[in-house]
Amino acid sequence: MSLPPIFNIPFLAEAGGVSPALFTFLGYTAAVFSLAVIANYLRKDGNFLSEYFLGNRGLGVWAFALTFAATSASGGSFTGFPSKIYSHGWILGLWIGSYIIFPICTMGFIGKRLNQVARRSGAITVPDVIRDRFRSAGFGLLAVALIVFFMSFNLIAQFKAGSLMLKTLLSGVGVFESGVTFLRDSIGGSVDPAYLLCLCGFGLAVIAYTTYGGFQAVVWTDVMQGIVMVLGVIIMLPLALYLVGKDAPEGVGSLEYATSRMVDMSPPRRGAAVFQPGGPEGNSAPLGEGSWIRIPGSDEGAEARLFKVIPKLALEERLRKRGEPWVAVLEITSPGDRSQVIENQGDRVRSDFILEDLELQGYAYGAEDGRKGVYVTGPGPSPSSDAGFLPLSLVISFFFMWAISGSGQPASMVRLMAFNNTVTLRRSIFTVAVYYSLIYFPLVIIFCCARVLMPGMDAESDRIMPAMAVFLTENVGAGWLAGLLIAAPFAAVMSTVDSFLLMISSGLVRDIYQRNINPEASELRLKRLSYLFTLLVGGAALLGAVNPPQFLQDIIVYTGSGLAACFLAPVVYAIYWPRSNVEGCMAGMLGGFISHLSMYVGGIFANGSFFRPYRLMDFDPIIVGLLVSFLAGYLVTLRTPPPPEDLVRKYFYKPEASTGA
Amino acid sequence: MNAPDNNQEPANAPWDPVFLESRREALVILLLWVAALLWAVPYCYLNGFPETFVAEEFSTVWGIPSWLFWGIAVPWLLADVFTLWFCFFYMKDGDLGEEAPVESQESV
Repeated sequence: MSLPPIFNIPFLAEAGGVSPALFTFLGYTAAVFSLAVIANYLRKDGNFLSEYFLGNRGLGVWAFALTFAATSASGGSFTGFPSKIYSHGWILGLWIGSYIIFPICTMGFIGKRLNQVARRSGAITVPDVIRDRFRSAGFGLLAVALIVFFMSFNLIAQFKAGSLMLKTLLSGVGVFESGVTFLRDSIGGSVDPAYLLCLCGFGLAVIAYTTYGGFQAVVWTDVMQGIVMVLGVIIMLPLALYLVGKDAPEGVGSLEYATSRMVDMSPPRRGAAVFQPGGPEGNSAPLGEGSWIRIPGSDEGAEARLFKVIPKLALEERLRKRGEPWVAVLEITSPGDRSQVIENQGDRVRSDFILEDLELQGYAYGAEDGRKGVYVTGPGPSPSSDAGFLPLSLVISFFFMWAISGSGQPASMVRLMAFNNTVTLRRSIFTVAVYYSLIYFPLVIIFCCARVLMPGMDAESDRIMPAMAVFLTENVGAGWLAGLLIAAPFAAVMSTVDSFLLMISSGLVRDIYQRNINPEASELRLKRLSYLFTLLVGGAALLGAVNPPQFLQDIIVYTGSGLAACFLAPVVYAIYWPRSNVEGCMAGMLGGFISHLSMYVGGIFANGSFFRPYRLMDFDPIIVGLLVSFLAGYLVTLRTPPPPEDLVRKYFYKPEASTGA
Repeated sequence: MNAPDNNQEPANAPWDPVFLESRREALVILLLWVAALLWAVPYCYLNGFPETFVAEEFSTVWGIPSWLFWGIAVPWLLADVFTLWFCFFYMKDGDLGEEAPVESQESV
């Protein structure tokens, strides 16, 4: 799941959690580098490329399971996903419905056979498999081109996500702030200096350890990152349940109480307001972002209204353009939430203002007067869609999206080519199944509790994970734990970025240079080129992320689903259908690419934006892409000549039979 | 399972056992995905998407809305049990073969 965050609020400084954050980052970085050094030191003699890009197909259970799990779980699992749970409630349990079978689908569906085919051809990369299986250099190059195209965009987006997380982690830390001030003086105001500093820190760290250690370093850092992720969840769950249950009536369970509170919740309203100082001298301190304002009810006996000043970016354009004295506000509409805010904020809720003017906008779905239960039933509240957050068509789309398109990700396929034997595969599938069960449903529970414990974060829900980490740990008197919990999303982004980096450089060195330009290249030359290309690709992505594209989340969704639309059908046909041929599978790959892309291009005409794709019969473009890809592959294969017999023998017959042929 | 359809091959072709087993296992996984879809989506939709919300009719199990508990949480547990069975009692081990030397790769 790939939904990155937008953070920019120095919450750690507010919460006094500066030291743990800094120590966590430094300790974490040191551990990552140590693992890379060890991986490089332990690298075995033999074929450099196979070792550097695939670890010589020697991964055991823990390494294989955790590198697979950590790569699949991108930063979105700990940022965008919690944000969605907070914003839409229990419906997110259904949104990730196909995670119940995600590990067995993504690892078991093609894992064993892909590994076997890769061994038979000596393939190191996914394009390698495709090229050898069909004996077609052109097909191999098409696969490389698509991987480089999609992953380069994705890499830039992930770099931005990682940098924003680091910025959150370090905001308020003295050394960091000094660096930001220095940079601001040096470069002027063209780029946010804090972001730039974090981008350099995050980017250079990932590029350095990936370049130096190759696949083994990526795998071992993935293992550590995977452990950090699950630890984060395991620690947060009991803390969240404990805190949410503190006010529960006797005999009512913590989660039961939280859900009953959610039943009464109604979505907040956003808008613009003008407040005038109403203090004794009319000189109240100015209102900053994050300030809470309580305005007494207009009639006697009417409940007081509660507003929070939010970033103007959270508003739609019409309201955003209003200048002083208008401020962007969020109004809490549920009585239970208002009480919770007053309990959390205490004296910080301001009462020294008078509301002079106000223009509010409610949710498109779920905000009807007196409506209850919107956070505990489908389709969930939505600020923009009057069909709700998750109508039936999208429920089905997401069932495809996670389990099926997850099987078609080249970064996962490379890992499926890297395990050492079938015993490892069997044990790893089960390990990942348990691992994901420990992470994803508990995340839904934790952030439903967050909705109850921390109302008013709707406009900045992307930072709910770190904010909740601080809230939980501070409230149980263990602020030092916050740093560890915040390392979880950071680990998730890092483990995805390093894998993608290696995918692109392997495509360039192995699939283009060695196999098309210079097949006789010496080991030393390949080694130097591998280091060089990993460094160059990382450097280019880093430069691209200095001014990153605006639609971060959308790029990640587009590239992830696009890769699946291109690669799943050709790979499934290649390994399971002896009759499949190069024409059919190329048609499948191109058909998937074009149909998926055309839904996005159609979005420009239908919805005014490439990133608001046209939804055929309300289904996500991934479904159209997969259907067209499988269908085109099947029909073209049947209408073109069968593959050469010796190729079928090589990949589908017993080894002794094929050698005898 | 019958031999794969390739019109070039003799009926008694010596198919690789890992290929045949993997394909059979892939089919089981595909059926599992269909079964999960057919249970989770209709169950949740029919029980968790009310036209109008009636608080008295809404129920929870251990604090989880009951439509989600029976539609996702319990199937999740069952899917883990199925995965356990699949991995340790159904999925076959097989010889994946030795690594082909890079030099042996066909130049195209």
